[in-house]
Amino acid sequence: VSLEIVEPGALASVQDPFGRPGWRHLGVPVGGAADSWNARLANRLVGNPDDAALLEITLGGAVTATYAAAWMALTGGLRAMAGGIELPANEAWRLRPGATVRIEAGGGARGYLAVGGGVVVEHVLGSASTDLRTGFGGLEGRALRAGDRLTVGATTGRPARWIGSHPTGPIRIVPGPHPEQIAALEATWTVAVEADRTGVRLDGPRLGGGEVPSMGLPLGAIQVPPDGRPIVMLADRPVTGGYRVPACVIGADIWRIAQLRTGDEVRFASVRVEEARRANASTDEELAALEPLETAEDDELGWAGSHE
Amino acid sequence: VIRPFGESALLVETGSSEHAQALAARLRTDLVAGLVAGVPGLESLLVELDPSADVDGVRSALERLLSEPLLLAADGRLRILPVVYDGPDLAGVATLTGLAKAEVVARHAATELHVLFDGFAPGFAYLGELPVELRVPRLDTPRTRTPAGSVAIAGAMSGIYPAPLPGGWRVIGRTPATLFDPHRDPPAYLLPGDRVRFEPIDTGAWDGRAGPPDDW
Repeated sequence: VSLEIVEPGALASVQDPFGRPGWRHLGVPVGGAADSWNARLANRLVGNPDDAALLEITLGGAVTATYAAAWMALTGGLRAMAGGIELPANEAWRLRPGATVRIEAGGGARGYLAVGGGVVVEHVLGSASTDLRTGFGGLEGRALRAGDRLTVGATTGRPARWIGSHPTGPIRIVPGPHPEQIAALEATWTVAVEADRTGVRLDGPRLGGGEVPSMGLPLGAIQVPPDGRPIVMLADRPVTGGYRVPACVIGADIWRIAQLRTGDEVRFASVRVEEARRANASTDEELAALEPLETAEDDELGWAGSHE
Repeated sequence: VIRPFGESALLVETGSSEHAQALAARLRTDLVAGLVAGVPGLESLLVELDPSADVDGVRSALERLLSEPLLLAADGRLRILPVVYDGPDLAGVATLTGLAKAEVVARHAATELHVLFDGFAPGFAYLGELPVELRVPRLDTPRTRTPAGSVAIAGAMSGIYPAPLPGGWRVIGRTPATLFDPHRDPPAYLLPGDRVRFEPIDTGAWDGRAGPPDDW
């Protein structure tokens, strides 16, 4: 099976859910899927191991085609169409050879398109993820382009449908190393133009920011530079940062930050560390809320088989 | 001082990069249960914990380690990097420091620097410390793209951009040497603890020194 990129949309790249966390002492960012939770879910829906490589598609406008029957699934904030019909989200579909899938804008910033068997690329420093800034990993260290063809591995598991649920309400935060102003973060913020895989800048009340000696930055750290506009740091954040960090977004809510688009509103609420750890565990458990799909190998679903 | 950094990390303030590196090295051999990674910074070590780790347990294990004397690493290898000193900010740095351009170059090249830590980008080494007379503030408006190999200074630090990256440091020269290659082991040429000296070269010598240094 291979997968062709007919159109990449705003930005599409090969990522895996976990990136390369073991090379930060040499300045190498963790990277990997910005919304790791949805990337893992997409893999599970097509029967892949959690760490398989897949496509991260930004804001929509992408089209892919397959060159053999394949199970695919889309998770996250975008919508999938085939032959003018919307394909179900959070559920695997079986596509017949040559079928094209169009990924369109939806309720969030990023979609994860997984294919049974996973995208096969060379692992660099232990990961298939594309480091777009330095230019290595993934497919030739770059964003995907029209005409790229990706190899797909052999399917290992069974396709499924997700039947879990997501928390609603404010994004939960816990104290960082400079927690004096954490209460000031509990406000409504608007996502600025600067929202990418590195981080999401927020406009709202001005906080007291400032420089500190460069220190390692965990995922979700909320940095406040001297201009007082907070930035929530995501997968491609630099290994170290030199601004004050009053708080961090909890692990369970990182995926919600990664799905924000310019102009979206977001609210923070402070929680206790114990509550954050419980929320992280239950978010992990939600990944397992799967129902297996019937798999008659030669029976491609009618709607998925139609061409555009 | 050990500060909480989110629900699954701690920031250990070590006061110096040498102590941060030494503690990171210590944690690689004396494993602490529940601790998954350490990221050294300028005066601290970020430690990340397993989701199910006993935070208080890790904290007291770290406090115990910190109460013992840390073995600081001996001086690292000497790395000599060729530099063509023709950077776009060389004249500006001369103005800011009140030194002639040739004097800026001479002092930069005469100072043996140390890799304090790697951060910012793959293979980017924070080199310190510059003599007081070479310390200048960052650019008011950072460049959206600083070419690979740019040799730059800001405050007490010097650094070399391993790839084309945005940056606010003042670029005084360029090196033909490759500093990061994910297919080499180790992928970074400059490692924490290394000593670094810059060697002024003419543009004519560029091609002969291009690529990964022989002593990678």
